[in-house]
Amino acid sequence: MPAIADTNSLGFPVKLSQIDQELKKLWQESEGTATRASLVNLAVYSEDADALNKNTQLMARITESHACRAIVIEADCKASENRVEAWINAHCHVSSVGSKQVCSEQISFRLKGGCTTLLPSIVFSHLDSDLPFYLWWQEELREPMDSQLWAWVDRVIYDSRGWKDFRAQMRLLESAEQEAKQRIVLCDLNWTRLDSFRLALAQFFDHPASHHNLAKINGVRIDFAPGFRSTAVLFAGWLAAQLNWQNEKGEIANKVRFVNSSGGKIDIELRERAGEPIGEVAVETPQVEFLVTHANCGDLLEVSRGKPGEKRMPQLMPAGKNDPVSLMSEELMRGGPHHVYLHAVERVRDLL
Amino acid sequence: MNRPADQPEPNPLREGLSARAVPQPCAIVIFGATGDLTHRKLVPALYNLAADGDLPPAVTIVGFARRPKNDDEFRHDLEESTRKFSRQPVRDEIWKNFAQSIFYHRSEFEDEAGYKTLAKRLDEIDKTHGTRGNRLFYFAASPNEFEPILKHLKAAGLNQTCEGSWARVIVEKPFGTDLASAEELNRIIHNSFSEAQTYRIDHFLGKETAQNILVLRFANAIFAPIWNTHYVDQVQITAAETLGVENRAGYYENAGALRDMVQNHLLQLLCLVAMEPPTDLSADSIRDEKVKVVRSLRHWSRNEIAANVVRAQYTKGAINGEPVVGYRQEKNVNPDSKTDTFVALRLFIDNWRWADVPIYLRVGKRLPKSATEISIHFKKPPAVLFNKDLRDVNVLVIRIQPDEGISLRIHAKVPGTSFRIEPVKMDFHYGTSFGKPSPEAYERLLLDAMSGDATLFARRDEVEEAWAFIDPIEEAWHAKKDAPELYFYPAGSWGPEAADDLLARDGHTWRRL
Repeated sequence: MPAIADTNSLGFPVKLSQIDQELKKLWQESEGTATRASLVNLAVYSEDADALNKNTQLMARITESHACRAIVIEADCKASENRVEAWINAHCHVSSVGSKQVCSEQISFRLKGGCTTLLPSIVFSHLDSDLPFYLWWQEELREPMDSQLWAWVDRVIYDSRGWKDFRAQMRLLESAEQEAKQRIVLCDLNWTRLDSFRLALAQFFDHPASHHNLAKINGVRIDFAPGFRSTAVLFAGWLAAQLNWQNEKGEIANKVRFVNSSGGKIDIELRERAGEPIGEVAVETPQVEFLVTHANCGDLLEVSRGKPGEKRMPQLMPAGKNDPVSLMSEELMRGGPHHVYLHAVERVRDLL
Repeated sequence: MNRPADQPEPNPLREGLSARAVPQPCAIVIFGATGDLTHRKLVPALYNLAADGDLPPAVTIVGFARRPKNDDEFRHDLEESTRKFSRQPVRDEIWKNFAQSIFYHRSEFEDEAGYKTLAKRLDEIDKTHGTRGNRLFYFAASPNEFEPILKHLKAAGLNQTCEGSWARVIVEKPFGTDLASAEELNRIIHNSFSEAQTYRIDHFLGKETAQNILVLRFANAIFAPIWNTHYVDQVQITAAETLGVENRAGYYENAGALRDMVQNHLLQLLCLVAMEPPTDLSADSIRDEKVKVVRSLRHWSRNEIAANVVRAQYTKGAINGEPVVGYRQEKNVNPDSKTDTFVALRLFIDNWRWADVPIYLRVGKRLPKSATEISIHFKKPPAVLFNKDLRDVNVLVIRIQPDEGISLRIHAKVPGTSFRIEPVKMDFHYGTSFGKPSPEAYERLLLDAMSGDATLFARRDEVEEAWAFIDPIEEAWHAKKDAPELYFYPAGSWGPEAADDLLARDGHTWRRL
């Protein structure tokens, strides 16, 4: 194992020009007892004070299941001094399928003042060659977008839940995407948050004999926790996009109305309730209700279908977790483009 | 791998959520439900699928066996074994929910009435659990029970389904003991179920690395031009295990290593390594190409068998420093047994791609370590520059188990002023690069069967062609006159010297594992 044992610390301070040499030394000191592994370059950018420590701890956990070169950046654009500091560290874990120590490197930077504009050059100099570049952007996006940086990004990861102006932020991302010739895949952790609920609802309609129910849906209720309205709206957008519902303009008292291809109206009620980000989803047809709700034990979903008032036989499914490590792990497991997400956004852009 | 052509339009809400065919709700009926396979593999695999959210909620398990037991006793037994054999810890709340979908149906396999009551029970389960008339019959019983089971399933109408539903049958190996018995078994199965409904399980094909062979070969352009007789010098496939016959003597005495391992697992791996690119990833396209490989295997005359196949049996020795008895001293083994516990073969695939490339297979019990690996040995470069024999340097190794991964050996210059060249290894380990452990082979295969994807299951012609290749060897071994010699090797060694000689005459040696 490399000499740095505390995987939650920033590690050794190093000179910017010495990073590669110091990393090499780190591995020489391990004397072959650890294996360096990396599948992606994962850079995380934040302007929060103490972001370096917070994100180092997140990376320590993320790298348990996703070997990567971690590049952690904390920027203070308003600082009067112009300064760059750097650290190196390694996150080592015992492999899940053996007794090997598997280590991911982390390079950390603190940028202050005008040198924050050096971000692209700093990042580019320390990418592990030939591996994809994922950028986890924890800030609001600002104009002007640095085309040099975005042109290199394969996947940009963000959480739209925290955005103050969804449409403006999305416009910036889409323009970056266009400039990068569609190379970037947009990965919204607010969308990832919905995975388990989407899966739980989708499974009701896997059997061809259930498909007819999709055309009969006349009402949906989505319970969301305070602060997660945008998550619920994205869920509504997903249903609308996949089932080809059009939005009827105007939102009345927490209800959104859509029209299906036969002209049938579907009211989606958005209810704020304390609890999980999405607490419960009920999809109704005149004959049957499909219900996905959190089980009492917390990290499981209970899924059931039946007529109102009828005794049901609920089944359990994994609920997924809402913490950043779980969301990132889920996102890093996936590949390919997120067309479904973009279609969902398109249906509810005005509501977000 | 692909959505079967006979499947209807996909569920629009599934788009982007899973990159595989979606398993359908169904009742899984296990014949031989009180046996080892059910307890060690099948139910733990189904539990893990449920815990990971990969199993549709409307899946039920109906155990069919002779022993008197009720649902609760059966559930209790399965809970105990699942806690022991599951790859992830059993969570009480998930098990409780999962167990509600487990039932026990007591009946003799020969009792027709038992199947009629089974049919009624499955209809009830359809109504209460939403299994929608879909049935997956898993034959975990002994092959000599297959005929009565299949006959009675048919008589009870359980091989038929109403429109929109399906019935499938999963058959565990051995798929016969020779060509005649395999054909007979297939005939019996096809009296009740069509080939499209039949899934012959070979758990080697469910292993992540076995599946990755196709990806390695056909998703990486660098290998395509060199994967042939012009660049490949030899291919070796080894399936070694430290275990002896354990408690399987009853079966193994009649089977031996050739029937137990080569006819199915090793030939399946060979097919994946040697097949031509399929036209697409559908089950039949892949299996069409695999069966061509078996058909192209060179068949030998009886004299040639002795020169190209070595059979052997372990004698007493030591494994990991522990003394172990010889095969003939194992419990329930005939003290004069001639059963092969080790086989080495020198094969040729007589087609355009593999002409004159020797393929060496070896399989054995009580070998020094447990490992299944495939190695592709590339031809040596011209020795004009470095004044050194660069034989057997470039070796691509696909590790099937354990420590799944791929490595490539290349030559590199040792740093220094001299021009010293040494082999180095580039090594990819699944466990290192991907933190998530691979699912058990049975998990993948059960899910595939529920989804109607037969890609990783053996087709009738594959099985029969494999037996057509194996049968002459077995016949030669059992000939009354001039039967090839049975060699012996001490437990803990890499087999008899004769196995080394098999390669030595081509100027090759077994790769050191």
